[in-house]
Amino acid sequence: MNAIEIKELTKKYKDFTAVDKLDLTIGEGELFGLLGVNGAGKTTTIKMLSCLSKPTSGTAVLMGNSITEKPDEVKKIISISTQETAVAPNLTVRENLEFIAKIYSVPDPKAAADNVIADFSLGEKENARTKTLSGGWQRKVSIAMALITSPQILFLDEPTLGLDVLARRELWNVIRQLKSKMTIILTTHYLEEAEALCDRIAIMTSGKLRAIGTAEELKQLAGKESFEDAFIEIAENAGKEEIK
Amino acid sequence: MRITAFANRNIKELIRDPLSYVFCLGFPVVMLLLMSVINKSIPAQANMTVFRIDNLCAGITVFGLTFLMLFAALLSSKDRTSSFLTRLYASPMTAFDFIAGYYLPMLLLALIQCVITFGVSLIIAAVEGVSLSIGGILLAIVTLIPSMILFIGFGLLFGCKFSDKAAPGLCSAVISAAAILGGIWMDVDAIGGAIEKICCILPFYHSVTAARLAVAGNIGECGKDLLIVCAYMIVVAALSVIAFRQNMTKDK
Ligand SMILES: Nc1ncnc2c1ncn2[C@@H]1O[C@H](COP(=O)(O)OP(=O)(O)OP(=O)(O)O)[C@@H](O)[C@H]1O
Ligand SMILES: [Mg+2]
Repeated sequence: MNAIEIKELTKKYKDFTAVDKLDLTIGEGELFGLLGVNGAGKTTTIKMLSCLSKPTSGTAVLMGNSITEKPDEVKKIISISTQETAVAPNLTVRENLEFIAKIYSVPDPKAAADNVIADFSLGEKENARTKTLSGGWQRKVSIAMALITSPQILFLDEPTLGLDVLARRELWNVIRQLKSKMTIILTTHYLEEAEALCDRIAIMTSGKLRAIGTAEELKQLAGKESFEDAFIEIAENAGKEEIK
Repeated sequence: MRITAFANRNIKELIRDPLSYVFCLGFPVVMLLLMSVINKSIPAQANMTVFRIDNLCAGITVFGLTFLMLFAALLSSKDRTSSFLTRLYASPMTAFDFIAGYYLPMLLLALIQCVITFGVSLIIAAVEGVSLSIGGILLAIVTLIPSMILFIGFGLLFGCKFSDKAAPGLCSAVISAAAILGGIWMDVDAIGGAIEKICCILPFYHSVTAARLAVAGNIGECGKDLLIVCAYMIVVAALSVIAFRQNMTKDK
């Protein structure tokens, strides 16, 4: 089964088209990378898929549920780590995690919190108020809150933003362990991260899908040795076409 | 489950803010003590009884409730402007879960605040030898429940529609209106004229009057006042629900 089927998904803000007739199919258990320059429409796409923003036209079906017709069903099976850190500042790390677990009716919130606290090495800070943590630590908590619900589809919008090298590697390992247990959509500006983690990668510019495939395929398509060069080639070509 | 989880979070968020104690509990108690001291210095011949504890306690309790409005506004507007609420909008939380989760903890806090303010009033009354019946006070707390919902509703409405910079400003406008036009510090009937008319149109004076009547053991007479407060309560609570639903479906 396909986990996500996106059909002509479009978002317009007044005259400006942020996402332009996006067509995309993502398989169950796939780790899918969404790449693109700033303002390409990655976050807007994720917001529509997670029912935070209504498409202007088009739709998407997540595990058989349409985002436009059955948002309540979609919300039960997805989880999102937003581009911005999203935590309750006056709750402790553990309280934040258990709170989210309860909202999603996770059977044993305490045990679920124990698990993610171990996965993310949050143990030493679990009883600290979240607002007293450093930015990177708050970020880890924010991502852990998305994982604690064991969703069928997980959206990670720039998860490693602001994390140090060690924390980033740790998160990579967590993501690798989740791989094939759930479908994951990941956006990032770190190309080596996309190359290391993702099964398939899509490159967007100006709201349009420009190329899609494995990192290897995209390198061949662009005729480049490194994935970074391939990304630049594809994004710049799209830019030139846009001007014509 | 979702409502209790969210209500729990909101209670924690409120009681972990030291300002809650200063404004919601400290302030009404200090006001009570201060006004009682002032009352002592008013000569008996002046025949001024607004500041006597049996008149004062209902007014100060309503005044205390207006500060809860400020906290409801701050909490909801801060949640809205941070990404925290965005995350919850993508969760299985329904509009009803959110609204109940905001209202219930605030209501609990309002009840605690009323009990403390009236409790301190009982002590002051005992010290000053003024008679104040516990039965009347319990009834007064019941008559104040619509006012609690009204003020919390104002707070959530402002929090849903305005930033955490603008919402407190609007709240202070309501706090001032309630303080001046609620008959807390003055005898509205004795003023008369246009001011009395404005007082009677707004809900605040009726909140205070209903509670005062209950304290004095005349609960039977407060029907009209309660009715007016309830009408305002329904309108404001409905508006707050509408505003919240609008926020939920608006683009984030
Ligand atoms: N609420 C909004 N109103 C108007 N325009 C918006 C709104 N949200 C996003 N946009 C515009 O839509 C475009 C796509 O934004 P989006 O946040 O999806 O980009 P992105 O690919 O996530 O970029 P970044 O890598 O910087 O996070 C941008 O040009 C942005 O200005
Ligand atoms: Mg983005």
